Amino acid sequence: MATHDYDICPECDLLLNAALPKIGEKAHCPRCGLLLSRPRKRSIERTFALSIAGFILFFPSLLLPMVGVTIMGNISTGVLYAGVLALFNDGMEAVAIVVFLASILFPLVNISLALLISGHLYFNHYHPYLATCMRWMQNLNEWGMLEVYMLGIIVACVKLMALAQLNFGWGLYAFVALLIITTLLTSNLDNVLFWQRIHELRKNKHHAG
Amino acid sequence: MFYSGNVSMNYAKTSIMQAKDQGFIRCHDCGALSETHHKLSHCPRCDSLLHARHPHSLQRATALLISSFLLYIPANIFPVMIVNQFGAGEPNTIADGIIELFDAGMIPIGLLVLVASILVPSSKLIGMSALILCAHFRWQINARRWTKIYRAIAFVGRWSMLDIFMISILVDLVNFSGIQIIAGSAATAFASVVILTMLAAENFDPRLLWDNQQNL
Repeated sequence: MATHDYDICPECDLLLNAALPKIGEKAHCPRCGLLLSRPRKRSIERTFALSIAGFILFFPSLLLPMVGVTIMGNISTGVLYAGVLALFNDGMEAVAIVVFLASILFPLVNISLALLISGHLYFNHYHPYLATCMRWMQNLNEWGMLEVYMLGIIVACVKLMALAQLNFGWGLYAFVALLIITTLLTSNLDNVLFWQRIHELRKNKHHAG
Repeated sequence: MFYSGNVSMNYAKTSIMQAKDQGFIRCHDCGALSETHHKLSHCPRCDSLLHARHPHSLQRATALLISSFLLYIPANIFPVMIVNQFGAGEPNTIADGIIELFDAGMIPIGLLVLVASILVPSSKLIGMSALILCAHFRWQINARRWTKIYRAIAFVGRWSMLDIFMISILVDLVNFSGIQIIAGSAATAFASVVILTMLAAENFDPRLLWDNQQNL
């Protein structure tokens, strides 16, 4: 028995004959229904392009004002990182750290790792830390919560509508664009293919060296 | 047939249905298969630690779940934010915030917050407890259905952070001499509940549900 003829469902541990779905097809586990693989068209190129775009968009959405409120003649503007600072100043350090990690650090690390990995794969360049980066990217994916933050902005705006005038800044538009880019990024990133390519690069490196 | 989609993954023909009992381990990180009899400690493809099942899955999930149950009480009793208007502070619990939205006629947004901050966390706590009990007592259950429930729990968990993000935005935006919003003590408890239940779901191994089934 050779391991490459088989596949295992990660959620129900069923041993399967390896299937190679083509682009546009989906392979599901016959026993528990889990989506096992879903190959994407030009996954590496698209991931590379999207992660460059996401990396560039990250800075305006972090630094430019997103929402401005006017209450009784007083104006204040909200920036992505300012919520973290405000919570910190109120003595809610733990919540501030959680918000910082979920809305700033993890999304940024995720995009940077996607950029590094897809860049290496695109240029067929091996690096011994590729597998480690890939592992981190997979594990951090769940903890970056930009889309949940977007919903938080919407609910906060609805709550403020009654007592304040709202106006939206460039930061918010950049944030929405970033959100779309990261969503496309996760749906275009084909983990199975990425692991295979990392493995191939490593084998080639060993043969050449 | 059981599968949906257009590629059939066939069962490998053997009498025992769990890959672990057939001598195969799948790497948790990269998905590569290794054979148990090689007694490898690390994945040959990506060098991460190999485990047939998540180590101490039920113990860790139970501990995290009990902590979230305990923190769920202060998260709902104490105010998540306090609105200071001209010196008079008005504390708001999670439920107050939702009632306020309904009173203002914002029904869809009110429902959204109701789902994200009350229905999701409470059904997650109940669902995870049921999953842990099923796995621990080796109950004969419909494993396919419970795996789907597990997947739903793992998927919706992060959306409960909505309330925490909303508070961080309001605290920053509404900070004037006449009116101020400050975060309350329940915010810490609620954020911990969300994170601990996410960790509990991550540590729970759904394969344990399948290991216990006598007739698959």
